[in-house]
Amino acid sequence: ISNVLTASTLELHLDDTMKNPAIIGVLCTDQQGHILGCRGSLSDEHGGVVSVLARQVASLTKDPTDSPTVCLESDSGNILVRAHGTITVAVHKMSS
Amino acid sequence: MASINAYILIYCDSALCKSNVFSGSYCCSGYIVAYILCTVVRLITTSTLTQGLERIPDQLGYLVISEDGVLASAGELENDEHTAGVIMQMMRTACRFRLQGAAEPPFKRMSVMLEDYVYTVTVSGQKVFVVKRQNNHREPVVV
Repeated sequence: ISNVLTASTLELHLDDTMKNPAIIGVLCTDQQGHILGCRGSLSDEHGGVVSVLARQVASLTKDPTDSPTVCLESDSGNILVRAHGTITVAVHKMSS
Repeated sequence: MASINAYILIYCDSALCKSNVFSGSYCCSGYIVAYILCTVVRLITTSTLTQGLERIPDQLGYLVISEDGVLASAGELENDEHTAGVIMQMMRTACRFRLQGAAEPPFKRMSVMLEDYVYTVTVSGQKVFVVKRQNNHREPVVV
């Protein structure tokens, strides 16, 4: 997601993401944990944890081009978190 | 380990130690024996923990971490206190994640996927186990 994306375009992207039957939640935050948009099982209360996780994981690699993906795995689904520039995206997917 | 120390202390308090001739040397020996026994028990316990980790396919290294610090490390994660610290921070953060009022943390395992390798993290018996594995990129299969 580009830094110049407008709020309405973001909302369209979030709606498109939720059309995938395996996805039950999606969330975008900025670096301070403020919610830019969310759907489904992921909501405002998750913004802080998601942005902090993305910030903490960045210190595991010295390569600035390598953006790590954090995956919280459980029997009921996986929550994937990744930073793209200044925006952090979290997706809640059913286990395959 | 506390119970072993307690046993030695009780032994030293027996009739043998009450004799002034023997009390000093037997009590010192008792504490030395307790220390050696505790060290042996700790080494056996750590070895049991890490035996399984050694056999994980494609593993490049591992860490076993408790609240007191790193209990064991090997391979590319040997003595890697920085990674241990970051992983523990992330586990504390991730444990705060709650889905729709659920009481339990919503994960059994945390994976951190980088370009060339993956850290797989889980918790068992109040210890955090971290394994660094080769990241074998798998392309999705279209069926």
